[in-house]
Amino acid sequence: MTPLTSNQQYDCVVVGSGASGSIIASKLAEAGQSVLILEAGPSRDLKDLISSQLWARQLKWSGSAVEEEGNHKIGHGFNAGFGAGGSALHHYGVWPRLHSNDFDILSKHGKNLDWPISYETLRPYYDEVQADVGISGDAKAEIWRPKGEPYPMPPLPVFAQGQVISKGFSAMGLTTAPIPLAINSVPYKGNPSCVYDGWCDAGCPIGALKNPLVTHLKQAILAGAEIRYDAQVTRVLTDKNRQDVASGVEYIDREGHTQRVKAGRVVLAAFTVQTVRILLNSVRANGVALGNQFDNLGRYLTTHAGRTVFGLFSEQTDPHLGPTGGQLICHDHYDDKTAIKDSFGSYQWLIANAVKPNGLLGYANSRPDIFGPKLQPFMAQAAKHLGNMLYVGEDRSVRENRVMLSDKTDKFGIPVARTVHNAGPEQEAQMAFAMAEGEAIFRAGGATEVWTGPRAPIHIMGGAVMGSKEQTSVTDDLGLVHGTDNLYVVGPSLFPTSGAVNPTFTVSALAYRTAEHLIKTG
Amino acid sequence: MNDLSRRNFIASTGIGLAGLAAGGALLSPRQAQAVSLPLKALTKDQALTLGALGEALVPGALEAGIIQYIDKQLGEPNTLLMLKYLGVDTSAMPGFYRSALGSAHRLSQRLFKKSPEALTANEALAWAENIAAGTDKEWQGPPAGFFFFVVRADACDVVFGSSAGSEALNIPYMAHIAPTTSW
Repeated sequence: MTPLTSNQQYDCVVVGSGASGSIIASKLAEAGQSVLILEAGPSRDLKDLISSQLWARQLKWSGSAVEEEGNHKIGHGFNAGFGAGGSALHHYGVWPRLHSNDFDILSKHGKNLDWPISYETLRPYYDEVQADVGISGDAKAEIWRPKGEPYPMPPLPVFAQGQVISKGFSAMGLTTAPIPLAINSVPYKGNPSCVYDGWCDAGCPIGALKNPLVTHLKQAILAGAEIRYDAQVTRVLTDKNRQDVASGVEYIDREGHTQRVKAGRVVLAAFTVQTVRILLNSVRANGVALGNQFDNLGRYLTTHAGRTVFGLFSEQTDPHLGPTGGQLICHDHYDDKTAIKDSFGSYQWLIANAVKPNGLLGYANSRPDIFGPKLQPFMAQAAKHLGNMLYVGEDRSVRENRVMLSDKTDKFGIPVARTVHNAGPEQEAQMAFAMAEGEAIFRAGGATEVWTGPRAPIHIMGGAVMGSKEQTSVTDDLGLVHGTDNLYVVGPSLFPTSGAVNPTFTVSALAYRTAEHLIKTG
Repeated sequence: MNDLSRRNFIASTGIGLAGLAAGGALLSPRQAQAVSLPLKALTKDQALTLGALGEALVPGALEAGIIQYIDKQLGEPNTLLMLKYLGVDTSAMPGFYRSALGSAHRLSQRLFKKSPEALTANEALAWAENIAAGTDKEWQGPPAGFFFFVVRADACDVVFGSSAGSEALNIPYMAHIAPTTSW
């Protein structure tokens, strides 16, 4: 069937309505540019954010299959969002900054990659984002925090679970501070403060936890950006005469029709895997996909290793209260990436996460060895006395971990993504160290029983990494795809290295920087 | 329920002889009711096996509706099943459950010469432990231990993943927007 081509020419088409795509769309629309957002998933409204671990799963990826291989698969079904707001609709709002030592790992240590920018380059954008969106925290208490403006809101309160576990950190000589959270501790810019009900995973319908529906996607629509839902972009189109110029995109609409739209600029913000998939499916006349002239596209795929320490305490902890992302943070193991024998990288603790009885992260599933008549007594005790904290470990950036195209296709005949991700021995060593430390912390805090969950992939980054050299990256420091004039990538695909912090704050800061460039050069 | 009404009840389910356990035991009213509803994705044998395993793992799962939950969600394009988080594509989910439930049913027959729904409580626990161990050499479908984890998680979802489940644990549900249905 012949694709339907609209005659309307947009200044910019943005693929994806998550954190980064919404920022680009809002900033450009507010600057007077005509913007079209194409979102693969459905429209969503705040009233769709139902407080249920089951219904929350509707917010996760439901598009084309993603094949996963390796000893540490990336967990696309859990980590990726689907529909308005993308994965930022169900994210937990944990917003620490990367540290200075995350940006020059190759130069300093001879491994992984360097970022093409420094922390100092990104710092003003972090500050701008946190003022716009709002972060609650205590900058002084974060003794390891890189330089930046203090948070605009005071920290969220620490509930019983956090108070109990923090005793263990103190006993071990470790430091904790309130987690910097994109959650209102007080009313901020029209949104109310948090009610601490632990439903962050299901999305926050009051907007206390910031998601694109109450921040940049809302602003984009108000500024005149157009959005089309159920629009799965398949490839970037290039100019007939100049294949280094993107002329628009092709997508499949909800009726299954192939559509084409024209735009002066194309910005891919389709989250890590789908952004790479679109580029790999965008093959030029010479047979090489856009951005892949040096075989870097899809490579350096990273995911954080996440692993939870659980414990039962004699004190009442009320683990259902507070933010899902946790109450306290520890970065004592961040600034020396070589401190642990046979290991490399940083890690953080996110402490006293609100946790529900069921669900992948729920305490029922933390002990699959307990079932039958023994389950109810365990659940009753855990409901009142459980403590938990999450280890987040830095990944390695290696070429072998990558996104490719599969031989299989989706229902539209488009090759699906195939991912390979393996953790290396240094990641294993770090996690083993951290688990031993975590168990000791809990014992020191008075836990009567301690256990750990399995390693889980949290966050997905890389694949279209930024860099200063075309030979070792896919884009420049602003996300402009090498070898093109007007095709940009935003989002976590750009990360050359993973760091060990949750990525959405950095994703947002990078998108602010790219938006500024697009407006200046618009 | 007297004998007559029990017979009438079973007849009304349309299960007939096929719905009776191979060992001769009758279905409990709850089991019979569960499979009396039109099933979309599972056969009655598969549903009964699922109910028996769910109940063995998480007491209360059968009454909380594990059969109806799984059967309904296997037909949904944007499923609520936790399997979505575990690397199994939606299109492969029906096959995942069907093949493993078939293996679980056959395991029950080999271990106790009974269908799962006819197992005593202790037999059901031994059957579940065998599945968890993943040592059945004749098992077909997804790895038995993984299947065990998934069904246990499903059962926890229906038992604990609602306001009633929270109340049973004496903790507040505190919904921003309460679900109008559990799934």
